[in-house]
Amino acid sequence: MLIRPTAEDLRLIGCNLGRVLVVVAGTGLVPLAWALVAGESAPAASFLVMIGAFGTLGFALMLRPPHTDQLEWSHGMVVVGLTWLIVPALGAIPLVLSGHYGSFIDPYFDAMSGLTTTGLTLIQDLDHLATSLNFWRHLLHFLGGQGIVIAVLSVFAGGGAMTLYYGEARDDRILPSVRSTARFIWLVSAVHAVVGITALGVVGRFVLGFRPGRAVFHSVTIFMAAFDTGGFAPQSTSLAYYHSGVFEAASAVLMVAGALSFGLHFALWRGGRKVGTNLEVRTILATFLGTLLLTMGGLAGAGIYQSLSGLSRQGFFQVLSAHTGTGFATVPTAELASWGGLAFAGMAIAMALGGMGSSTAGGVKSLRVGLTVKALSAQVRQILLPEGAVISTRYSHHGWRQLNPGLVQAVMGVSLLYVALYLLGAGAGLIYQLPLQSALFESVSAGANVGLSVGITEPSMPVFLKLTYLFQMWAGRLEFVAVFSLIGFMFALARGK
Amino acid sequence: MRRIGPALLLVFLPALLIPNPGWAATDVTVSELLQDPAAFEGRTMSVVGELVGDYGFRRDGWAWSQLNGDSYATAPLLEGGALSGSNAGIGIRAPAHVIRALDPPGDYHHRGPLVRATGTWRYHDEDRGGETYLDVTSIEVLRSGAELSEGLNPVVAGVGAFLVVIALWLGYRSRKRSTG
Repeated sequence: MLIRPTAEDLRLIGCNLGRVLVVVAGTGLVPLAWALVAGESAPAASFLVMIGAFGTLGFALMLRPPHTDQLEWSHGMVVVGLTWLIVPALGAIPLVLSGHYGSFIDPYFDAMSGLTTTGLTLIQDLDHLATSLNFWRHLLHFLGGQGIVIAVLSVFAGGGAMTLYYGEARDDRILPSVRSTARFIWLVSAVHAVVGITALGVVGRFVLGFRPGRAVFHSVTIFMAAFDTGGFAPQSTSLAYYHSGVFEAASAVLMVAGALSFGLHFALWRGGRKVGTNLEVRTILATFLGTLLLTMGGLAGAGIYQSLSGLSRQGFFQVLSAHTGTGFATVPTAELASWGGLAFAGMAIAMALGGMGSSTAGGVKSLRVGLTVKALSAQVRQILLPEGAVISTRYSHHGWRQLNPGLVQAVMGVSLLYVALYLLGAGAGLIYQLPLQSALFESVSAGANVGLSVGITEPSMPVFLKLTYLFQMWAGRLEFVAVFSLIGFMFALARGK
Repeated sequence: MRRIGPALLLVFLPALLIPNPGWAATDVTVSELLQDPAAFEGRTMSVVGELVGDYGFRRDGWAWSQLNGDSYATAPLLEGGALSGSNAGIGIRAPAHVIRALDPPGDYHHRGPLVRATGTWRYHDEDRGGETYLDVTSIEVLRSGAELSEGLNPVVAGVGAFLVVIALWLGYRSRKRSTG
C-alpha cells in the first residue's frame, strides 16, 4: 500500500529545495557582475529576473519550516530529483530572454545540458552571444559537475544530508562527515581552477595570441567545460576553434582530472601508493586503450587521416573527449558523422562506458564495468571448478573489499538501466527515420552526458526527440535512483492513502 | 591570320604568369566545405563570410580567425536578423599583416567584417596534426565591421528588480519565522 506523504514531508522537501534555490540565486550574482563589467545591459537585466525568480521561489518554500531537520532517504532523493528539474527551468530565463532560441524547450534543453554536464546545444548564433550569457552556460557546467547539492551541503548541512549527497550519484564519502567531504570536493575544484585557468590563459595569451581579456574569457569558460567534463565551448566550432595542440593538451589534462573520482583525487593527494591496484583505475585504463585502438584502427583502415600525426592527435583527443564524457570536438559534426565501422564503435563504446564514479563524468562508470567483469570471471571459474568449491573474489577500491552477490546485482541493474536508456533514445531517433548509427550515437551521447553530436541535435529537430534527450540527460546524470524516487513520490502523492 | 594566334599569346602570356590571388579561385560556400571537406582538398578558392571571435596573432607571423558563412553574417540578430539555426564556420589562417588591417571580429558588441577570403583549402593538414582550415593569401573586405547596439528592455529590468525585492522580503520573513 502506498502511503501519502504528510504535510511535514512536504515541508521538509520544500525547505531543503528552497535552500538549494537560494544558493543558486546567490550564484547568479557572478554572471550579473560579469554582464555589468562587460557593458552587457540586456543580459544583466535578464540575470536580475533569474536571481529574483530563484530567490522568490526559494524563500517562499522556506516560509514554513519543518519541525525536524532530519531528512529520510525518500526526502533526499525527491529534493535532488526536483532540484535537477527546477534549476534548469529557472536557469534558462536569461537564455530565453537572449533571443538566441526559437522556443522555450530549447533554452531549457541547453540549461539541462549545461547542468548535467552534457554539452549538447540548441543555441542559435552562438558566435554573437553576450559573453556573460556564455559564461552562465559554462557556470551551469560547474554547478552541475560539482553537484549543486554539494554547494548547499558545504554551507548548511542538516540531519540526513547524506541522502542528498548520494542522490546526486556520489558514493564515495571521502572524509568522516558530509560537510567535510563537500568542502574537500570544493578544495580540489578550487586548486584545479587556479592551475587550469592560469595555464589556459597563458596559452591563450602567449601561444594563441589572443587579447588579454579574451584570453581570460576563453580560459575561464574552457576550464569549466573541461574540468566538469561538460563540453560547451564559447565558439561554435568547439575546440577546433583554437587550432592548437598545446591548448588541446592543456584541456585534455583538465578533462582527465574531471573524469577521476574525488576519492581518487583524495588518494592521490595523500601520496597515491595504492592507486595502481585500484580496480576503477585499471578498468578505465583498459577501456580507454581498447576504445582508442578500435577508433584509431577504424580511422586508419578507412584512410581518413593520411599522416600519423593527424591520426594520433585527432583520434586520441576525440576518444579522450568521448571517454571522459566531455564532448569537445576538434572535427566538424559532418565529418564525425562519417566515421563508420570500428571508429564509430570505438567512440560509441567510449561514450557509453564513461568516466569514474563520483566524478563529473557520466556513463555506466568504470567501477561498474570492472565489477561486472570480475563477477563474470568469478562465475566462469565457479563453473570450471568442482561442484561445491567456494570462490571468494576481492577487489581494490580505496581498500580491499569483498565482491558480494548484492553488490553485483545492484551494479548489473544500473548498467542494464543505462543500456535501456541508450536504446530508448536510439528508438526515438528511429521513429524519425534517422540512420541507426546516428540515432545510437546521439542517444548514447545524451544518456552518458557526453555532448558529441553527429548533427541530429539542432534547433529544428522534432520536439519529441528534444524531450527524449532531455529525459536521458536528467536520468543519466542522476543515475536513476533519484528519478525513480521522484516518480514514486508523485505517484504516492496522487494515489497514496 | 595564322600569325595572329601566336601574336596574341605573346601579348597575353605575361599577364597569365603574373601571380594573382584570385586567379583560378572558385567560389565555395562554408556550408559546402563543411558538408564534404575532403572533396576540396588542395583547391584554391574564395569563401565569403564574416570574421568572428578573435584574431589570434601568433609568433610565427600568422593570424588565425573563424569565418562564418551563415545568415547571421549578413543579418545579425541584434540588427533584426531572423533565427536560422546554428553557426556555420571554418578556421582561417592568414598572414598577420593581412588581418591586422581589418575591423574587430564579430561578437556581441560587433558585426565583424564581411570578407571574401581567397586561399587554399587544407584538409587534414599533415604539418598541423590533421587540422582543417583555409590557408588565406588575400582578403577582400566586402562590408566593414560595425558596432552593434543592444536594446535594454525596461520591462525586463523592472520585472527583475521587482522579483529581487519580493525575494528579499520573503527571505526576511522566513528568517524571522525560523528565529522566532
